[in-house]
Amino acid sequence: MLQVKNVWKVYGKGVSKVIALNNVDIRLNDGDFIAITGPSGSGKTTLLNVMGGLDSISKGKIFLDGLRIDNLSEGRFVDIRRKRMAYVFQQYHLIPSLTALENVLLPLTFGGVGKSGPRRAMQMLKKVGLAQRAKHKPSQLSGGEQQRVAIARALVNNCSLILADEPTGNLDQKTGAEIIKLFEKLNGDGYTIAMVTHNPDIARHAKRIIVMEDGRIVNEITQS
Amino acid sequence: MKLYQLVAKDALRRRRRLLYSALGVAVGVAVVIVVLTISKAGGDKIYMELDKYGANLMVRPAIQDVELHLGDLDLGNLFIGENYIEQSTLPQIRELTDGAIREWMGSSINIPEGENISTIAPQLYITTKIGGVSVVVVGIDPDSERVIKSWWEVDGEYPEQPDEAIVGQAAAGSLQISVGDTLSIENETVRVVGIIAETGSDDDYQIYLPLATVQRIFHKEGLLSSTDIRALCNACPVEVIADSINSNMLGVRAVAIKQIANNEMNVIDKMNNFMRILAGITLLIGAFGVINTMLSSVHDRIRDIGIMKAVGASRSQVVRMFLYEAVVIGLIGGVIGYGVGTLLSYLVGPLVLEGVNIAYVLDYLPAALGIAIAIAVVASVYPAFRASQIKVADSIRSI
Repeated sequence: MLQVKNVWKVYGKGVSKVIALNNVDIRLNDGDFIAITGPSGSGKTTLLNVMGGLDSISKGKIFLDGLRIDNLSEGRFVDIRRKRMAYVFQQYHLIPSLTALENVLLPLTFGGVGKSGPRRAMQMLKKVGLAQRAKHKPSQLSGGEQQRVAIARALVNNCSLILADEPTGNLDQKTGAEIIKLFEKLNGDGYTIAMVTHNPDIARHAKRIIVMEDGRIVNEITQS
Repeated sequence: MKLYQLVAKDALRRRRRLLYSALGVAVGVAVVIVVLTISKAGGDKIYMELDKYGANLMVRPAIQDVELHLGDLDLGNLFIGENYIEQSTLPQIRELTDGAIREWMGSSINIPEGENISTIAPQLYITTKIGGVSVVVVGIDPDSERVIKSWWEVDGEYPEQPDEAIVGQAAAGSLQISVGDTLSIENETVRVVGIIAETGSDDDYQIYLPLATVQRIFHKEGLLSSTDIRALCNACPVEVIADSINSNMLGVRAVAIKQIANNEMNVIDKMNNFMRILAGITLLIGAFGVINTMLSSVHDRIRDIGIMKAVGASRSQVVRMFLYEAVVIGLIGGVIGYGVGTLLSYLVGPLVLEGVNIAYVLDYLPAALGIAIAIAVVASVYPAFRASQIKVADSIRSI
């Protein structure tokens, strides 16, 4: 599904040069569930960002279903964000002025989905167990509930690839466990998931664990 | 949910900032409304004063005044031409006047073809003596004269019969006559049916009789001294009418009386120009206010814009969201600007132009909204472009 080939990401020049990704190679197959882990500053979030086209790369190539995506214009990438991949962030990143339902509806609004939008958004909220909180604003929801809304928003466009950056990072252990269970369920439903986490307990739930250090992949563990 | 609904919800959340922005626009618009309202009221006042002048044009015999010189010696002036206009030229004068007005006003004139647009008041002036007192007897068409000299206050009646006269206040005093008395003019007896209240002009010293009577008494049948023309429209092109008469008719000279009012209008125009510049500067300042608020709004919303782009917003959608917001700012600014501007006009108008009658002009509301929206949208283009260039990863890192 997604292939990262010899990718480099370098910030700055000269003495202030920082190599965030150092010749990274990674392949994500349909139905995969990978956890990218490693210490702070190891490049795991940068890797997720370049996989999702949120950040550019300095060298290398990235393919999505055979299509090279690292050199696409922003306009063309908009289409990929609407149809192929979705993001879940550590800070949830919901729009504070919108209700839970409206936040889930957001991708459909930009994608031009008309009347069926609210129904689909509601279905996604049901899927994450938050139908009864549809009319609540983010400030009225707990951290776990906000992250569920963010996951529902990622699912609403029927994108098959979910890129999650520390999705449990802001949650307590119990809520974090609930979220990871939700990811496992989604993976079981056929979603491909790439998740960044620094928490080994969370990483254990993935099918494969990619360990990073100083911008390099230093280990890859396939779990049974 | 549509894009504009998303903008509306966000605008409600940030209503205070939005209002500040709108106030910046409103100040500029208010000044424009003040300028327009006061200037319109000033123009209306001048046209009302113009009405008091009565005639817009005067047609006189074309007496040519030739200066005679012999070397450096001035021999004085030689007058060439008749002292009268033929009464038979009146239809042509009317035709030229109405034709010029119709041509100038085009479709905006609502007087049907064939009906008179202007009032034409012929006059014949004769100097004579009554009971040893020198007076000027004026032959008039009473109906036309009444229209032209609308400020006349006649104690009694206007002449209806050939032997009926109205007399100016000063003449009545000199002749010691009042309504109902008779006068003998060249052995003809006429009855005084009205006295004109003092006007402070030459009219006070004159005796007015029906034109035909004066022509008959003084053997001037078919002759006139002058003709006043009053066009029944405020913006009538008197200079054009005068030109038309002067270039088409021999023996007469048409003079535009509006010249005096035009001078006054020029002063108002100069003042308006100054105020327009002031309004332009204020609008510009308002626009910079909007740019500033919008840029800080972009900065405040870097995260939100990043999120929106991450979930599928295109650059053009981001730009559109900011421009929709600008329209909202413009609408609020326009309404406030119109209201405040109108109120200010009532307060400031009488101080700027003495005796001016300020009236709100509802037609300016769409103009106010148009200006406000245009300013807000133009001022938002750059901030909107900046917003559209925000990179998702940068916006998320900025938190």
